[in-house]
Amino acid sequence: MSTTVDKKIAELNKCKAPIVRIDESLDKYDNVIPFPEKHEKMNEILKKTGHPKDYLKAK
Amino acid sequence: MNIYRYPLSAGKNLTSYEFVSVGPKGNIKKLIYFTSANYQNLYNLAFGDEHPETGRLDDLVISNNGDSESVLATVVAAVYAFTDKYPEAWVAATGSTDARTRLYRRGLSKHFDQVSNDFIILGQYNDAWEPFAVGRNYEAFVVKRK
Repeated sequence: MSTTVDKKIAELNKCKAPIVRIDESLDKYDNVIPFPEKHEKMNEILKKTGHPKDYLKAK
Repeated sequence: MNIYRYPLSAGKNLTSYEFVSVGPKGNIKKLIYFTSANYQNLYNLAFGDEHPETGRLDDLVISNNGDSESVLATVVAAVYAFTDKYPEAWVAATGSTDARTRLYRRGLSKHFDQVSNDFIILGQYNDAWEPFAVGRNYEAFVVKRK
């Protein structure tokens, strides 16, 4: 029995997309910007480099 | 590559995740957020430890819990989960410090073979995007599902 369970766990662990348990208490973090300065840093980078989709279009 | 990944919990929009790192320093709650940037379909990845007192995300702490490979593999798994739900999303990451940026680069390099099958991966170098190359010193990265 445990061998079957272990095998299933091993198979699940190989899947690229994980099984995710939904925990609605985490919804409170939606739309929260945890690091405004890092957010701003990324926006500055994007101002210089442009949206990456534009890079792909140009290729 | 089959590195152990920690079980993930997420809010119902799959933009906020948490998992628990287990190691010699104890159980450490880790948080991963995907927050919308000022550009369409572009999200910033934020990752770090939950501060035990404030409950806020701390991305400067070095937990040294002996499981960095599993932690990185779990973050990669969260990116898969997020982009399963939002396949058009670009996910951008930059470190809060040079060391943290190197950590992200090392994680991408380590998982490059697997991840590059499923994602377009670009690095920012000299103010331009270019296809990610292992060993190149990028300031920021973006990935998108193929």
